[in-house]
Amino acid sequence: MHVLIVEDEKSLHDEVRQFLLESQYLVDSAHTYGEASEKIFVNSYDFVLLDLGLPGGDGLDLLREARRNDQQEASFIILTARGALDDRIKGLDLGADDYLPKPFSLLELQSRMQAIMRRKFGLKRQEITFGSGFSMDVSGRVLRQGDQEVALTKKEFDLLHYLVLHKNRVLTRLQLGEHLWGNVLEDDSDSNYIDVHIKNIRKKLSAFAPTDFLETVRGIGYRVTE
Amino acid sequence: MRLEAKLALFNALSKLLLVLLGVALIPAIVSRVAVSHTDQRLHEKKREVLDLIKRDGLVAFVRQEKNEAYADYNILKQEYISLTPERGPALPKPEELIFNEQRQVDDEVEDFRILGYRFTANGRPYRLEIGSSLATVELLEDTLRRLALWVLVIGAAVTVVTDAAFARFLLRPLGQLVSSKLRDVRHPSAFSFEPIPTTTTDFRQLDDSLNEMMHQMQSAFEKEREFMSNVSHELLTPVSILQTRFENMLQDPELSHAHSLKLVESQKTLYRLRNTVKTLLLIANIENDQYLREEPVSLSAVVADVTNELEDRLAQRELHLRVLLDPDFVLPRANQTLLFTLIFNLLSNAIKYNRWNGSITVTGQLLPNGAYRLAVADIGPGIAPENLPHLFDRFRRFHASGPASPEGFGLGLPIAQTIATFHAATLTATSELGKGTTFTLEFQPVSKPVLSGSSAS
Repeated sequence: MHVLIVEDEKSLHDEVRQFLLESQYLVDSAHTYGEASEKIFVNSYDFVLLDLGLPGGDGLDLLREARRNDQQEASFIILTARGALDDRIKGLDLGADDYLPKPFSLLELQSRMQAIMRRKFGLKRQEITFGSGFSMDVSGRVLRQGDQEVALTKKEFDLLHYLVLHKNRVLTRLQLGEHLWGNVLEDDSDSNYIDVHIKNIRKKLSAFAPTDFLETVRGIGYRVTE
Repeated sequence: MRLEAKLALFNALSKLLLVLLGVALIPAIVSRVAVSHTDQRLHEKKREVLDLIKRDGLVAFVRQEKNEAYADYNILKQEYISLTPERGPALPKPEELIFNEQRQVDDEVEDFRILGYRFTANGRPYRLEIGSSLATVELLEDTLRRLALWVLVIGAAVTVVTDAAFARFLLRPLGQLVSSKLRDVRHPSAFSFEPIPTTTTDFRQLDDSLNEMMHQMQSAFEKEREFMSNVSHELLTPVSILQTRFENMLQDPELSHAHSLKLVESQKTLYRLRNTVKTLLLIANIENDQYLREEPVSLSAVVADVTNELEDRLAQRELHLRVLLDPDFVLPRANQTLLFTLIFNLLSNAIKYNRWNGSITVTGQLLPNGAYRLAVADIGPGIAPENLPHLFDRFRRFHASGPASPEGFGLGLPIAQTIATFHAATLTATSELGKGTTFTLEFQPVSKPVLSGSSAS
């Protein structure tokens, strides 16, 4: 996977870059409009992570320019802190594949990228296997153990999916909460909703097989291990 | 009531008053006129008779030998003239008197208006009487009265109509001004600067000052929008950097547990900052009218979406939710996402501030005036009366009563209220300690034309 990060804020660029490198992506960077335009023209990327307010031009123009070129097959994800609401609509109209307002979670970014890949390559029945014989049909939203279906609520399924997607990473309650309640501004970050969800998931799964793959990391959060 | 209607009404009332005054006064006036007219005619006749007497001499009228009076009347006995010699001394000068009296003409007795004139001729007093039947006078009076009333009524009616038409013509620019510049303008961006065609200086001035004011408001809104965009960039970029950095650091396998815990704490602090900033921006953006309000949204669909989303939380606290939305209400022009946030915040509050195994009731009710009332009621600990007025204040925190209650109401309610206002709805809260709290949304009645055509208004 070849990713171009177009971001003029150096610290942010560095963090995204580090994260993607650790997740085994091939990463390229551009810090200005001109640099980005040139790199998009010359190289072929799977993803372009696009900041909108760039020195030398507007990221939306870059997107427009790239979409005019039929050879360019990169998926664009707009990352912006600009408050203007029509940017989102404009961006998606111009052919951006997704839009993440800053600040965003790197995990969220990664799961969006994976969702785009899934769409792009038409992986309709993507099965993820984990733990002791559990398999997850993401588009069908079904969890199975062997031939048996494990009944989970919508939120429980989303939570487990997110954990499985970021296998071997510790996810904090905040990160999990943000994924579940993404668009809603919650101010009770201390609430124990996530803990209750995990408790219920464990209870439901343990009826079929051991759930020791779903670990609690004391004081921090949860992790799904291989 | 519209100005035009008021003017027309005033106009009609004043004309009606005039007609009534006419009805009251005209008979008196007309009878005076008729009487004086009759009197005048009697005088004229008298003059004519005297002229005849002067020309032909009394002999022609008075049959001296019989000492008889001369009398003459027309066939219908409407008038008579009599000349009677009188006994007695000669008069020093002629006497004249007009009076009403009965007279017998042939066999009929009738009321007459009579001019009696006594004069001396040839050394003898004579009495000349010229009478006009009162029936005739009354007939004249009646005709005159009827004519006057008709003229009055027709005149009044015609002027009422012409005045109304003229007022309408004069006020047309004002009507245009109201309909195109005031009524449907909910935001400066929806304002039309097209000048209203008028030659009336007052309307011209009004239109010009409206345009001028709107220009200033638009530019202020534009500046605010730009400012918000810059502020959100400046505030959210550093938050963004920190958030990603914390996430990366947490993945570092060499990080000690103690430091991990500190990082999680920092992450929480950062989320609080982030949510505060995002809330402020959300409120500012709604108030700056940056959200669209164009889709028809069914409240019951929104409530269903929200309950679907909150299903697990309800189950976790073993809460019973009752949704009684009958009938449903469809807002013709609304923003689905914002309404979702609004209802979500209300329901989420009702979950947070409820007791274990409690209940939440969502009721929808169409009011007689067409407005719609949506109430979300919990049976939680309630809110102290002194805190109730501050519930929707931004950034005012207070501690809810009850040991198990969460920390405060936070920013959910100010957001909810901003969204309600954006949809021309009101959001109010009533509460009783120990019994529970009810949040009530009241949406304005849907005006029918909005449904059929959004641009026509």
